[in-house]
Amino acid sequence: MKIEKLLFVTKFEELWFDALQSLLDLRMAGLNHVVFLNVIEREKVAMHRGTGYRKEEEVKFKEMANIRFIDWAEHLFEQGMEVGAYITVGNLVHQVISACEKEGVDLVVIGRPRQGKLEQIYSGSDVTEIIRRANIPVLVYKYLHPDAQHSERPFERPLLAMDGSPASLLSVKYLKGLKGVISEIHVMNVIEEKSLKSASGMTVQKARKEARSRLEAICDEFEGEGISAKPHVYAGKPVVEIEKAARECQCTLIVLGSSAKGSWKERFIGSTPEALSVKSIYPTLLIPPGDA
Amino acid sequence: MSKKVLVVDDDPDVITFNVSVLEENGYSTLTARNGEEGLKKIKEEKPDLVILDVLMPKQSGIRLYRELKTDKALESTRVIILSGIAKKTFLRSQKALTEFGGGSVPEPEIYLEKPVEAEELAQAVKSIIG
Repeated sequence: MKIEKLLFVTKFEELWFDALQSLLDLRMAGLNHVVFLNVIEREKVAMHRGTGYRKEEEVKFKEMANIRFIDWAEHLFEQGMEVGAYITVGNLVHQVISACEKEGVDLVVIGRPRQGKLEQIYSGSDVTEIIRRANIPVLVYKYLHPDAQHSERPFERPLLAMDGSPASLLSVKYLKGLKGVISEIHVMNVIEEKSLKSASGMTVQKARKEARSRLEAICDEFEGEGISAKPHVYAGKPVVEIEKAARECQCTLIVLGSSAKGSWKERFIGSTPEALSVKSIYPTLLIPPGDA
Repeated sequence: MSKKVLVVDDDPDVITFNVSVLEENGYSTLTARNGEEGLKKIKEEKPDLVILDVLMPKQSGIRLYRELKTDKALESTRVIILSGIAKKTFLRSQKALTEFGGGSVPEPEIYLEKPVEAEELAQAVKSIIG
């Protein structure tokens, strides 16, 4: 699994070129094509009473985006990379999915959802819908957000949260393809609170030992690829513990399967990936379960 | 019979402008919205000239130009680059791709930076295919 082609979705307020530059380490894992996408919300140019469709507004927004994209593209072209761009009016989710299908990208990068005072950057539901509908990994990047934890090299020290689902097993395969980009990976599993309710501490310790053993086997796989890997077992609420582990291990990125279910059709986003993609201060990479 | 010009650009306004200038000057026109579609039309229609944008979806003008100029069957295709991307960037990009192991390609015969006046475009086309 390689990342050769990336779709960079920007509304400019959230993701700038320096965010993209921080992802160019992925060139070591095969990245050679970046496609920019800017979606102008229909409401910005829609018909208002007495004014009709505001073509002038559309031109203004498109040219503003075009000016930025030309500047970014020149920088990437000069490094020998391939670049494409879409500037469209419409629904964000639909345009992202459509661009993914037309271009056959390997990764979507989108800004963190947040509600600004003046304008909604991305709504949480838009991000969730993109994750649900995209059949490729989605990186929710939190680059310029004031609360965000970001690194110049987000793929340098990922935290891989495992839950044994097909999607999380696919995450292992995906990250193994990033050899040369990752310097150390932390692999973790959360024993949920309900499993801790036991008459004997032995039962809990047994669960911890089993989880640890599974994580060690995964770490061995990474080590076999030349990627340094460390296992960690946590106990409690997954969202809280994953965030805690990322902080304790000084990770630069959280990676997890986007669904606990294996089937592609009628897939639901798990509550943990959904919460982390929207609320975590860390960039979050969601891997779908694939066709399995 | 009028000479055939293919306009490859993802911007519908640019296509409309170029086509109107070309038709007013007696050329017949074809259009494509990205590099992939452009290459297909070049192979099928063998136009006398291609007016090529650079930053486009699917395949850029940089890669399409490279494909044309490194393919024996297509290298004689005449090309005008018409783009918002600077000529300096185009040349640096081609140099980088050559250094990465691709074949070397000649500089474009004419490189126009957007926007252009109708007269300037007509003049450039005329200077290449008459």
